[in-house]
Amino acid sequence: MENYLTVEETADGLDVSLKGDWIFSNVAFLQEMLDSIDPGDSTAIRFSCGGLGAFDLAGAWALYEKSMDFEELDLKTEFEGFKARHFKFLQHIIDIAAQKEYVPGYFDPKPNHVISQGIRKLGANTIEAIDSVGYIARSVLDGIKRPSRLVIGETIRQVFATGAAAIPIVMTVCFLMGIVLAYQSARQLEQFGANIFMVDLVANAIFRELGVLLAAIMVAGRSGSAFAAALGTMKLSEEIDALRVLGLNPNQILIIPRILGLMIALPLLTVFADIAGLLGGAFIGATVLDINWFSFTERLAGTIDVNDVLVGISKAPVFAFLIAVTGTLRGMQVSGSADELGRLTTVAVVQSIFLIIVSDAIFTVVYSRIGF
Amino acid sequence: MTAEHEHVITIRGLVNRFGKQVVHDQLDLDVRRDEILGVVGGSGTGKSVLLRSILGLHGPNEGIIEVLGQRIRHHEPGPHKQWGVLFQGGALLSGLTVQENVELPIALHSNLPIETRRELAVLKIFMVGLDLTAAAKYPNELSGGMRKRASLARALALEPRVLFLDEPTAGLDPISATEFDELVRYLHANLDLTIVMITHDVDSLFGICNRVAVLVNKGIIVDTLDEIVKHPDPWIQKYFGDPRAVRARRAAKAKVIT
Repeated sequence: MENYLTVEETADGLDVSLKGDWIFSNVAFLQEMLDSIDPGDSTAIRFSCGGLGAFDLAGAWALYEKSMDFEELDLKTEFEGFKARHFKFLQHIIDIAAQKEYVPGYFDPKPNHVISQGIRKLGANTIEAIDSVGYIARSVLDGIKRPSRLVIGETIRQVFATGAAAIPIVMTVCFLMGIVLAYQSARQLEQFGANIFMVDLVANAIFRELGVLLAAIMVAGRSGSAFAAALGTMKLSEEIDALRVLGLNPNQILIIPRILGLMIALPLLTVFADIAGLLGGAFIGATVLDINWFSFTERLAGTIDVNDVLVGISKAPVFAFLIAVTGTLRGMQVSGSADELGRLTTVAVVQSIFLIIVSDAIFTVVYSRIGF
Repeated sequence: MTAEHEHVITIRGLVNRFGKQVVHDQLDLDVRRDEILGVVGGSGTGKSVLLRSILGLHGPNEGIIEVLGQRIRHHEPGPHKQWGVLFQGGALLSGLTVQENVELPIALHSNLPIETRRELAVLKIFMVGLDLTAAAKYPNELSGGMRKRASLARALALEPRVLFLDEPTAGLDPISATEFDELVRYLHANLDLTIVMITHDVDSLFGICNRVAVLVNKGIIVDTLDEIVKHPDPWIQKYFGDPRAVRARRAAKAKVIT
């Protein structure tokens, strides 16, 4: 304490002499020491500042705050030997601040309207979704009526980026899924000596459900997020506004190519996924389960007809539409900050995977009802 | 000021190359204590590279840079508590309010209680001419001028001794720009600040700078305003001979007289 201030009691009040460095890095300590000053019976406090070393605004502020505290206790405070100009400056700032009106709402706790805000948000989101789906539909229709307005080059680029580039990863995942299915079904079928039915199980599961589902989920993770991030960044850097001002419809040159591109790419990707899944099953059959390649294909031809393949592939455009619309829509909703971009990209992926699975459930029920 | 100036920043033999393109060649610079140094130069003369080198954000090919006696090395911590930087776009963290942005450096570099931290931040926010309404807002809700002020408050949060301003008045309307110049001058007059300011704005150059550093021919020429306008270099002649510069100079002179 002696390093920064000394207190001395005199006849006409308390003498506090300050020394050392009263700077930002010491503020916590300085405040503690100032608080430990006990005015006792004194009616006046004199701060002598002649011995001060470095003195900055934070130090001045600590001193000023304390002197205000003393003033409130009806103690007179005065300063002696003040060479630093900070104090005047501080006084000036505080005077300006005092002239400004107190703004309610900043430090006041706000009432919590979780439920009503939630409902309002849900409503706003729904309206926005309907609005933009309608907008996109109009652009698609416009494109069909006047194909010259479709941006073919960008669409093809999207087919490559979302489809062709995804082939290796999708095929690897489906191949592994084929192996898993073959193993798991063989374990059950072995009990009945019906190993060969493994082919039926694997082929049906891959063709009707898993091929397209895995491809769609991989694409949602790869391209859904890419759509949201790309459009969101363009939105933040005002590129979208620039397009609008130039008289170009961002829907037409950014969103429609992505939707059409993905709707072309995903069915094709599904074919690759199906092939990889079957290969996985056949590989395990040939190496572990004693079902050679020939009997695998023979059994396959017997159990699968073209409908099974079509069931899977027919879902792909719908999944693709859901992924692309969710991704682009969320991307276009980005505004303001980088945080928002991250949040909406996450939302895009989570929602598109959710929608894929919901619509897959609907497909399965409907198809089994109509016997497809 | 005494004849022996105390140097806050010393640069010796700075060389910056990008591929075959040489931006700085054996550049020397001294920034004196308590001055406002304006840095000007045409596009591509390496104003930003110079600033980034001083801040340790860019590793120069050769040369020694010292700020407040501390050697600056790329990717190594510099004198963070003693310098403040106002980036061109403000560079406020978009996920935090202005208040939190200003509190952040205080929270990172001290162990002050939350109350003190908050009050010091509010003090800084008032100091740059903002109020509590602005303090509660997110950066994207502020105008360009307010964002610059908020960013300045953050730069000043730790009571720095050196302040770097990267085009502080770029993108501001003339009134806001003049107000910002006033603010810088006001802060410089009241705090122990050395200011290095990159600027394109001839008004702020003539209005508030003590000395000017001009980046020409891969080197730097530093002098007072009155001297530098007489320098024979063609770029300097062109720059200060421009009608806008002449007008700004006259305006600044008139201000001094009145």
